[in-house]
Amino acid sequence: MKIGKKVAIILLVVFLGIQFVPTKRNQSDNISASDIMIVYKVPEQIENKIKVSCYDCHSNNTQYPWYNKIQPVAWFLEGHIKKAKEELNFSEFGDYSKRRQKNKLKSIINQIRDNEMPLSSYTFMHKDAVLSESEKSELENWISNLRDSL
Amino acid sequence: MRTLKLRLGILTIAILALTAMSCKDNKKEHNNEDGHHTEMVVDNENNSDMNHDNSDGHHEESSEKVDRNVETSTLKNAATTPIIDAYIQIKNGLVADSKENAAQGGEALLTAFTSFDMSKLSGEIHREYMEIYESAKEQAEHIVKSPIDHQREHFEVLSTDIIDLIALLGTEKTLYQDFCPMANRGKGAIWLSETKEIKNPYFGSKMMKCGEVQKQIN
Repeated sequence: MKIGKKVAIILLVVFLGIQFVPTKRNQSDNISASDIMIVYKVPEQIENKIKVSCYDCHSNNTQYPWYNKIQPVAWFLEGHIKKAKEELNFSEFGDYSKRRQKNKLKSIINQIRDNEMPLSSYTFMHKDAVLSESEKSELENWISNLRDSL
Repeated sequence: MRTLKLRLGILTIAILALTAMSCKDNKKEHNNEDGHHTEMVVDNENNSDMNHDNSDGHHEESSEKVDRNVETSTLKNAATTPIIDAYIQIKNGLVADSKENAAQGGEALLTAFTSFDMSKLSGEIHREYMEIYESAKEQAEHIVKSPIDHQREHFEVLSTDIIDLIALLGTEKTLYQDFCPMANRGKGAIWLSETKEIKNPYFGSKMMKCGEVQKQIN
C-alpha cells in the first residue's frame, strides 16, 4: 500500500508537471491561398463535409477538442496531425504539383471507399465527421470529376 | 486524499483515452483484411469472365496491336536502368504475391533515385523529372511500409510515373507496357514488364493472366 501510494504520487507529479509543457497548436488566423477551397470551386455542401471530416488533421487549422488541453493527449494529437499533414494537407493543396494533386485525390477516394478515413478513432469522438453512404458517393463523384479535370 | 483519488481518476481516463486511440492501427489493419476479402471474392468471379474474354479471338487483336506499337523513337538512355530495374523488382514481388519482395524493391527504388545523376537535366526536363521523382518517391515509401493491397494501389500510380519517366528520359531496356482492365477497381491499370508474357502484378496468383500487351518499348 505504501509503495502503491508513492507510485501514485510520483505519477501524479509527473502528470501535473507535463501540463506545463507548451505545445505548438495547429492553428492559423488566415486561410492559405493554396487551400483547396480557394484554388478550386468547391460546392458548399462538399466543402462543409470535407472541413468537418478531414480538416482537423489534414489542414493548418484544427478545431481542438477540450481534451487536447490535457497532456499527454495533446502530444499524441500533435504527432498525429503532423503525420497527417505530411500525407495530405488541404491548406497547401494548391502548392502540390498536378501529378501529386491527382495522386492525392485518387488516394482520398480509395481511403473513403475502404472506410479507412476518417479514422474510426476520430469519428469515435467526432460523430459529425462520420460519412454516410450517400455522402461518400457524393464526395467520390465530386473528387473524381475534379481529378479528371486536372 | 479525496483530491488524490480525483486526480488519479483523471489520470486513468487520460491513459484509457490514449490506449483507445492507439488501437486505431489494429483496427485499421482489420478493416484492410475485410476489404481485401470482399475484393477477392469479386476478383474470382471476374476471373473466369476475363479468361473467357481473352480466349475469344481477343488475343489476335492484341498481338497485332503490339507490332503496330513498337516504339522505335524511345531515347537510348542507360542512366534510367537502375530505376527501372528496381521498379521491375517491385512488379515481380507483387506478381509473386510477396509483400516482402515488393518492399525490398521499394527500398531499391529509393536508392536508385538517390544515386541518379540529375545534373545533366535542365530547364523544363528537370522540372518534369522533379515532379515524377517526387511522386515516385512517395509511392516507393508507401510500398516499403504497406500491406500488399496498398502496395498495389501505390504501384499503380508508380507505373504511371515510371512510364512518364521513360517518355521523358528514355531507356535502353526492352519493355512491354501491359494493361489489365480489371485493376484499379475496374477502371483498368497499366504496368511495365521485362517479359512479353503477361504476369499480372495487380492480382498476382488470383488472376495471373489478366491483361494484354499495349505496346513494346525498344
